[in-house]
Amino acid sequence: MASEALTLDRVDAHYGDSHVLHGVSFALGEARLLGLLGRNGAGKTTCMNVIMGILRPRGGAITLFGRDISALATEDIAARGIALVPQGRRIFRSLSVHENLLVAARRPRAEGNHPPWGFETVYAAFPRLKERQRHVAAYLSGGEQQMLAIGRALMANPRVLLMDEPSEGLAPQIVAEVMATIRRLKAQGLSIVLVEQNPKLVFEIADDIVVLNSGRVVVSDTTAALRESGVDLHQHLGIY
Amino acid sequence: MWTILAINSVTFGGLLFLLSAGFSLIFGLMRVPNLTHGSMFMLGGYIGGSLIATYHVPFWLAALLAAAAVAAFGGVIERFLLRRLAGSVLAQVLVTLGIAFIVSDFSLMVWGGDPLSVDAPRALAGGTRALGVFFPTYRIAVILIAVAIAAILWAMLDRTRLGAMIRAGVDDPEMARVVGIRVSRLFTIVFCLGAALAGFGGVMGAPILSVYPGLDFAMLPLALVVVILGGAGSLPGSLVGSIVIGFIYNFGLVMVPQLAYFILFLPMVLVLVLRPQGLFGRAAP
Repeated sequence: MASEALTLDRVDAHYGDSHVLHGVSFALGEARLLGLLGRNGAGKTTCMNVIMGILRPRGGAITLFGRDISALATEDIAARGIALVPQGRRIFRSLSVHENLLVAARRPRAEGNHPPWGFETVYAAFPRLKERQRHVAAYLSGGEQQMLAIGRALMANPRVLLMDEPSEGLAPQIVAEVMATIRRLKAQGLSIVLVEQNPKLVFEIADDIVVLNSGRVVVSDTTAALRESGVDLHQHLGIY
Repeated sequence: MWTILAINSVTFGGLLFLLSAGFSLIFGLMRVPNLTHGSMFMLGGYIGGSLIATYHVPFWLAALLAAAAVAAFGGVIERFLLRRLAGSVLAQVLVTLGIAFIVSDFSLMVWGGDPLSVDAPRALAGGTRALGVFFPTYRIAVILIAVAIAAILWAMLDRTRLGAMIRAGVDDPEMARVVGIRVSRLFTIVFCLGAALAGFGGVMGAPILSVYPGLDFAMLPLALVVVILGGAGSLPGSLVGSIVIGFIYNFGLVMVPQLAYFILFLPMVLVLVLRPQGLFGRAAP
């Protein structure tokens, strides 16, 4: 692994009294794609919330390109270059498509190596959004809302992109479209964490795989090594 | 007589709009029932009125200074008190009501119990002849200014990035922070803006209503009625609600003075029963 974009080091997190992350550690390499697998309630979304500063970790450290970000406020973490495509999409429903992108826009940073993102590039990547730029976001289809959530995250010109179950609730051909988009982003040098329940999708696309079970990392390796060793992930992922 | 009464109603509606637009934004966007809003109106009137009467500051400059002073006061309340009570409506109601009482007593101490009457700016004194009737020029000016402010507010909220950020913060505050919007700073801006509008309205209203002890608690329920009628967070709602209430209030006082308050609050009760989100409001999610 060249350099690390994002690391979690023995992160502990609680929701009130319940201990949901137990010393979680993993590292996302620069320009790599890390697939985060686990069944419902394994702590995947909690990891996203802890990285974004929505939930404060009780212990451990989170670093972004070597800098500790674990004590920063959510909006400062966003300013440092992490963007989230949240579970359930959570677009701003009363805003137009254009306004959803507008409020998230941020100037590209100097060290960015991908072409900078703006309205033109996002609309070029998602022509459907361009057609609907004046529409109120609440009236978009599920697939369009997912495109908007991804476009909104890209408008911030992030260095690290977190995607929490972007395939959830979408028709198969839309899922294929989303996956193609993710591949393209990775090819452009973006470092990505992809949270998924479906190991098939992750094995197709990820460089590294981390499996969470009950808030603990139970598997952490490169996709190639896991494929070779033929480890049975099903015990950790349950039945679907 | 009826034309004059109608003009007075629209003028009063304009003042109510300046009062209630801020109340509506603060309540609709931040979910804070700001019961100091009537106090902001009265404070604006006292500060502006004193500047004009005692220090001979030009009327419009005094109005802007009063608005700025009241905005600063609002900012302090938001930053140091309401910020700590986020999400707790009962605590917000009690604290803002407490501050309203404090302001009321403080004003009595500083400005005494006599009404402070303020002259309209000289350029707008006298009347304007139109449609065969003499209209007080100042009242016409109040209407025009209220309409202009309504247009500016609408443009700001609906047509600018700042406005979109405010609406995003209302839609989903957590997600707004995730995309990097400084939501708490936006809320302070909205709160100060609302306070400034009320303070400005207080000065604008001073030549018509004068400023007197109790003006705060006379105006607060009117702001409540307007916002409930029009729908919290809706600017068109505030505008229409203000004018409707302006008419009901003025015509009610003239035609059935003994029932003025009854017919004032009747539409509010009807709206609450039939359409709780208000005429222009969105249903709560």
